[in-house]
Amino acid sequence: MATPEDFDRLTRGERVRESLPSVLTLVALGLALLLLAPVAWVLLEALQVEQARALEILTSPDTLQVVLNSLVLTAGVTAGSILLGVPLAILTAQTTLPGRRVWTVIVALPLVIPSYIGAFAFVSAFGPRGVLQGLLAPVGIAELPAIYGLAGTVLVLTLFSYPYVFLTTRASLLSVDATVLEAARTLNHDRLAAFRRVILPQIKPGVAAGALLVALYTLSDFGTPRIMQYRVFTVMIFEETQAFNVGFAALLSLVLLGLTVVILAWESRINASREGAHVAGGGERPGRIALGRWRWPALGSVAGVAVLALVVPLGILVMWLFRPSPGSGGLAFELGYAVNSLWVAGVAALFAVLLGLPIAYLSARSRSRLGSLPERSTYVGYAMPGVVLGLAMIVLGIRFVPALYGTVTLLLFAYVVRFIPQAVGIMESSILQVDPAHVEAARTMGDSSLVSFLRVTLPQIFPGVAAGGALVFLTTMKELPATLLLRPIDFETLVTYIWIVQDGAAYGKAAVPALVLVGVSAMSMVVILSRERYNGTE
Amino acid sequence: MTMERGGASGFVGSHPTGIGRRRFLAATGAVGMGALAGCPGLNGGGDGTDGLPGELDIADFRGSGRIVEGRPAPGGTSITELPDLEGELTFYLSFGEGGLYLDLIDLFADYYPNFEYGHTQQSATGLANRIVNEVDAGASQADVFIAVDAGSLSAVAKAGAARTLPDDVLEPVPARLRTDQWVGIAGRARAVPYNAEQLDASDVPASVQEFPDVAAFQDDFGWAPTYSAFQSFVTAMRLLRGREETKSWLEGMLDAGVGTFGNEFLVSNAAANGEIAAGFANHYYALRVRNQRPNAPVELAFTSGDAGALINVSGAAIVEGTDDPELAENFVRHLLSAEAQEFFATRTFAYPTVPDVEPVGDLPTIDELNPPDVDLSALADVTPTLELLRETDVLG
Repeated sequence: MATPEDFDRLTRGERVRESLPSVLTLVALGLALLLLAPVAWVLLEALQVEQARALEILTSPDTLQVVLNSLVLTAGVTAGSILLGVPLAILTAQTTLPGRRVWTVIVALPLVIPSYIGAFAFVSAFGPRGVLQGLLAPVGIAELPAIYGLAGTVLVLTLFSYPYVFLTTRASLLSVDATVLEAARTLNHDRLAAFRRVILPQIKPGVAAGALLVALYTLSDFGTPRIMQYRVFTVMIFEETQAFNVGFAALLSLVLLGLTVVILAWESRINASREGAHVAGGGERPGRIALGRWRWPALGSVAGVAVLALVVPLGILVMWLFRPSPGSGGLAFELGYAVNSLWVAGVAALFAVLLGLPIAYLSARSRSRLGSLPERSTYVGYAMPGVVLGLAMIVLGIRFVPALYGTVTLLLFAYVVRFIPQAVGIMESSILQVDPAHVEAARTMGDSSLVSFLRVTLPQIFPGVAAGGALVFLTTMKELPATLLLRPIDFETLVTYIWIVQDGAAYGKAAVPALVLVGVSAMSMVVILSRERYNGTE
Repeated sequence: MTMERGGASGFVGSHPTGIGRRRFLAATGAVGMGALAGCPGLNGGGDGTDGLPGELDIADFRGSGRIVEGRPAPGGTSITELPDLEGELTFYLSFGEGGLYLDLIDLFADYYPNFEYGHTQQSATGLANRIVNEVDAGASQADVFIAVDAGSLSAVAKAGAARTLPDDVLEPVPARLRTDQWVGIAGRARAVPYNAEQLDASDVPASVQEFPDVAAFQDDFGWAPTYSAFQSFVTAMRLLRGREETKSWLEGMLDAGVGTFGNEFLVSNAAANGEIAAGFANHYYALRVRNQRPNAPVELAFTSGDAGALINVSGAAIVEGTDDPELAENFVRHLLSAEAQEFFATRTFAYPTVPDVEPVGDLPTIDELNPPDVDLSALADVTPTLELLRETDVLG
């Protein structure tokens, strides 16, 4: 039954939608098409594969096995991230956990560690003859069970991508309206029941948004499954590029993109509940759940996650620094590589925000399918394996913009294609928190839609814009495959340097740049978390 | 003793005179390298500050440690006999040895004040794909392609993206280690690193086909099937013995409980640790393990006349569309110089492809090995190999 409030929202939404300039729709659609250009290459390249051969590849038992592997891995990592991210978000945002502010930062930080570095660290630490085995050797343990395969891959990817779920869930928790919770409690629900019936439905879209990022990241990641020896789509695609079968690689990428579309559609359905809604921000915060004697077990599990996802990888990096490596020689580290990383990530973040803003605005304020189409389509680039995106950009660059080929512009474009949905997602949720009535008020005062956006909306969503940019910044900092393919001559970044020296088994040389990478990215996490203050919390 | 290029004969910054050339050869031929280490070096007419850069001698191109002790001077053509490198080149370097090759190019850049270079590193196949695309569009960026695997060089050559090399550049290298479009600069032999505490050399059969039945290898053998050198080895077996026999060999190895590793350094390291009794790897990884840990009980065995004894090469090709083919050709000559070959032998533990330079330590020479009769260009045909590896579930 519609309440008067619902009706009010509906009519407000209606008016705002009417006032959306069609220019905005055109701009957003145009941007989305531009960002989808690499997909066009994948299509064209895949179509060149002879039909019978294509069919043979797509239906071979090996391909089907790999599809299954990818799906199982994606499901495992997504479920694992929800199981870690949601409780951690609740513990830090909604309970009396001691030191929760510090823990909030700590449990968000694993996102800054590139998962391939995490995978190396886990193999070093827990491999059959790893550091842990070395410690256990005196008690007669000569070899640990292998951590390779599905379980190890799920573990590593979960530990370094659950923060997506943590961050989005936390953001929705912080915007839950306490009055609803109180209402539920007056209806004689106990705290747990009230939580399940009232809070859970409200944070579901937030959880789903984070889970979407985790799922698509897992689908597109190559380094971790490769190191952990689990054969998924990206590994198979890589094998084809190694065998000079770019067409087959494109064909397989198409299947991967198909899976992406299915996941996107699924998330859209979960997320449908928030369509057109104006989410109350800065309302009254619900009271915290007192942990009581559960305080210590809770603290123990939070600390346990921190040890696995932060202390282990950082500890291994520091160990590499002091232990002789088998390899040597090659490139010496230069500060310039760090500077390169910083500025390309900074520019990529800036463009992701600038290009993402019209897309996010349209999606937040429009209730037609057309309006959310550009937003949905940005996720396709996010799910593209970096190596495929890199190949696409090389061919498109040479053919259509030869002047930009071999320049950093092409690399920046690839970063924006890959990471813009992260910025769009955060900015969209910020725009949803702006009361459309404020915009209307400005419009009735005679402001044009652009001026009212700049005067009313932008100041309110600025923390969200900054957080979106910061998220793009930190993921760009750790992006490897597209960077390797598209970086200009004589242009190295922290990650390309780390990759080159580790490939030559000079692990000691990889340690310092890896620590610099993690340190710099950690600072951008502060920007992401500080957004919360504006939302009237803490 | 005169090692100066110029100096003694009053010749600076240009081609060395005949006198300088002969003297260098006489000197290096007559005495051990230890004695040479202290001499003024090949004076490149550099900036004249504190020795390096600008002044280099053979010790600069050499590795260090026990592995180079008492090595004779390298034979072959010294860089003092080659025209100066002057101008600018762009290199596409493949990973793996790429880092070390960069050290060599840096040495040249130190030696020749008027030589500059740019570079990028990527996987060999990634670069090959890229070169083919670039040349196709008339937009090649690279002048010289240096790859750790003959397959990638051949792929570029087949696509018509590599220039034909002049005969005098190719001539120092045995015919099996080159084609008209690329030349091998460092050899990498397939080998069997084994743990010397668990096995004797005689435990390793001379034929790789027998490996699945060796009792000592059951559940105690390692390989790295995702590694390109391993895939080249399987390609070679496919070419030599046919698809079916290769397939049953792979299945036999799986039945014998072969363990999978991420790369061949890890295979060699595991053999050194005793985690496995033996494995398949390129020969130099075990030497690296031993150079790092001199007491590690890892030794090398070689099979004979079959895919297990394949010698693949790192090589160089000149990219079609280069601005300065002469400079690029001269650079390739430098890669085959006595100094560069000594560098590959002692720093990367590769087989020199110029027979006048000895491989390090107790490695058998290429002539003592008995590599199979496989055209290295044919190793580019990886697709059927990939299918085979997938069919047998070797890739997981």
